[in-house]
Amino acid sequence: MATTADHFQAHGDPHDHAHDGDHKPAFFARWFMSTNHKDIGTLYLIFAITAGIIGGAISGMMRAELSHPGIQYLGTFAGWLGVHNPSFDQQLHLWNVLITAHGLIMVFFMVMPAMIGGFGNWFVPLMIGAPDMAFPRMNNISFWLTVAGFCSLMISAFVPGGVGNGAGIGWTAYAPLSTSGSQGPAVDFAIFSLHLAGAGSIMGAINFITTIFNMRAPGMTLHKMPLFVWSMLVTAFLLLLAMPVLAAAITMLITDRNFHTTFFDASGGGDPILFQHLFWFFGHPEVYIMILPGFGMISQIVSTFSRKPVFGYLGMAYAMVAIGVVGFVVWAHHMYTTGLSEDVKMYFTTATMVIAVPTGIKIFSWVATMWGGSISFKSPMVWAMGFIFLFTVGGVTGVVLANGGIDDNLQDTYYVVAHFHYVLSLGAVTSLFAGFYYWFPKMSGKMHSEFLAHAHFWVFFVGVNLIFFPMHFLGAQGMPRRVPNYAPQFEHWNHFASMGYLVMASSMVIFFVNIAYAFIAGKKAEGNYWGEGATTLEWTLSSPPPYHQFETLPVIGDDHHH
Amino acid sequence: MAPNASSARAPIDGRNRRVGLIALSFAVLMLGMGYIAVPLYRMFCQATGFNGTPQRATALAASHIKVLDRTMSIRFDSNIDPGMPWRFHPEATTATVRIGARAMALFDAENTSDHAITGSASYNIQPDEAARYFTKVQCFCFTQQTLAAHQSVRMPVIYFVNPKIVDDPDLADVRQITLSYTFHPVAQSASGQKPAV
Repeated sequence: MATTADHFQAHGDPHDHAHDGDHKPAFFARWFMSTNHKDIGTLYLIFAITAGIIGGAISGMMRAELSHPGIQYLGTFAGWLGVHNPSFDQQLHLWNVLITAHGLIMVFFMVMPAMIGGFGNWFVPLMIGAPDMAFPRMNNISFWLTVAGFCSLMISAFVPGGVGNGAGIGWTAYAPLSTSGSQGPAVDFAIFSLHLAGAGSIMGAINFITTIFNMRAPGMTLHKMPLFVWSMLVTAFLLLLAMPVLAAAITMLITDRNFHTTFFDASGGGDPILFQHLFWFFGHPEVYIMILPGFGMISQIVSTFSRKPVFGYLGMAYAMVAIGVVGFVVWAHHMYTTGLSEDVKMYFTTATMVIAVPTGIKIFSWVATMWGGSISFKSPMVWAMGFIFLFTVGGVTGVVLANGGIDDNLQDTYYVVAHFHYVLSLGAVTSLFAGFYYWFPKMSGKMHSEFLAHAHFWVFFVGVNLIFFPMHFLGAQGMPRRVPNYAPQFEHWNHFASMGYLVMASSMVIFFVNIAYAFIAGKKAEGNYWGEGATTLEWTLSSPPPYHQFETLPVIGDDHHH
Repeated sequence: MAPNASSARAPIDGRNRRVGLIALSFAVLMLGMGYIAVPLYRMFCQATGFNGTPQRATALAASHIKVLDRTMSIRFDSNIDPGMPWRFHPEATTATVRIGARAMALFDAENTSDHAITGSASYNIQPDEAARYFTKVQCFCFTQQTLAAHQSVRMPVIYFVNPKIVDDPDLADVRQITLSYTFHPVAQSASGQKPAV
């Protein structure tokens, strides 16, 4: 491996005019033409936080409207978007626009950029001992395509989309609502936004796969990679295989809308159900794309703060591979009520339940890692334990929903909303905050306040449970999702959930205060501020790491722990 | 420091390019699979009767089918695409046929508008599992139908129920099969161009 090490060393040279490893370009070149994986990771994180504020504000608008039966605020909201004195139908259309925007923003422009673009870019090269990503310029293109996609989605809110302005098609964009049901350019803008974000994601996936396969430090075999890198490798493969199918499906939507094809139109020999098959063939792997990097981060954190290697390392790595593989053959469990035959439903029920096995291995191994460990309850660990609890709750309701027979009752109710928010809004987002507090001092060089991070956790934890736990009751009682109005008997728990939103929102204030505190008054972070439990390669570097790291490649010994 | 950095980087760049291109080809392959899914799905449905796609047979093949002593009730259902100015209904809503025997059903269609309209019918079978046994020999749904202003037509469907249905345990309690049609307007164009079917 010595020759490889020499090549890596040489890699830094073109930038190294002043023989200064920390030579940085000027502001514009550094942040707008960036090819540095850490800078691009930072850009992704800033972008994700910005998009998260917008997506979170939209959920606040929805919770306000849902706090009482009847239509209260939709007319006011329409005024904000420039439609004054909206008709009743326009108000209902605005509701569809809000749920669409919330879903698309949170999935494509908050969770994915933060997990993959943000933490993935920052820490995959650091953890495998590489100087940068394999294709630094493509990394830059990925980021700006994501930004362009977000702009396209924002534009869609201000142009006609059928009954009113904006794309009111749900994040699933089912035909025929998204084809003949929504005239006007808003839906085209929304679809184009997915094209851009999808292209960016595919490029990012190619970059991660190449980096992880080719650029590991000498001695870092695949079976010695930290689990976060494993999670990113599996995620990149899911992106690579799932995203193009979404691109195909939404390209068919575009041509059905604008060029008289009839892929999803029965009058021309097409089939609207085909769109659902294509969408969910992408959509189910997509939910694992959103959670697997979180699994990886939780593994690092639990190991660090238990001061033990992860229990069952290989089982953990291959559990993620198994989740990724099986995740591709369960898609029709989103479509139980589309007239699937009994045999098909039985298959998809069984296959879906099989995923509970590798997921159970992961939960078990996290708990087993903590067992007998020397646990310190630092903020990332508290967030990680919150994640394990919340994700398990979401996983259990997922097993309930996996049953074709039960799903006939619960399809499109708030039970489903509760389920996927427990795994995503509470699961994935909690893991994002765990990762943020774990690595923020490494990225910024400043320590955050542990007190505020703990306060953030407890207020957030209480808030999100107040929002989403009552939704199980609402769904089990039959409240349909995607409606701004509801029968009066649902008011109690809806009002409760809306109050929970205020609690959750106030926890976000603590979060931003904490960031401000760190930058203004935070102590300088040492290289390894978490101490002896933190064993991966990023802890061998300063905080923040030098602009170009690992010009001499680290060599991984045989006794290396993960 | 290596003296010639650019040449020293070449091997890793080459390996990266190779892995990157392989990964890209996977993405392109999946994009293509998304499109191939359309004809594959159609072939699969027509071969298996999956999801209620009825089967077709030639008159010759139909004449060799063994007729059983059991009967099956067939219900006919007709629908019109919203906004299409046609009337369309079966002459009889049910028929009782011997399993394996060819039978004919008649549907009446009338164009109530003042101009010619071309329509095509999509069709479905319920229960879904019966679709692989419900076989059509001749059907107005195989081709497009053009009705002049205020024209009425009687349109036949010749079909039989494949005798293998009696061996299928999933359909042991099925006594009636529903054949449903929906007429859709075909996008009018001066050249009379057909839509992609």
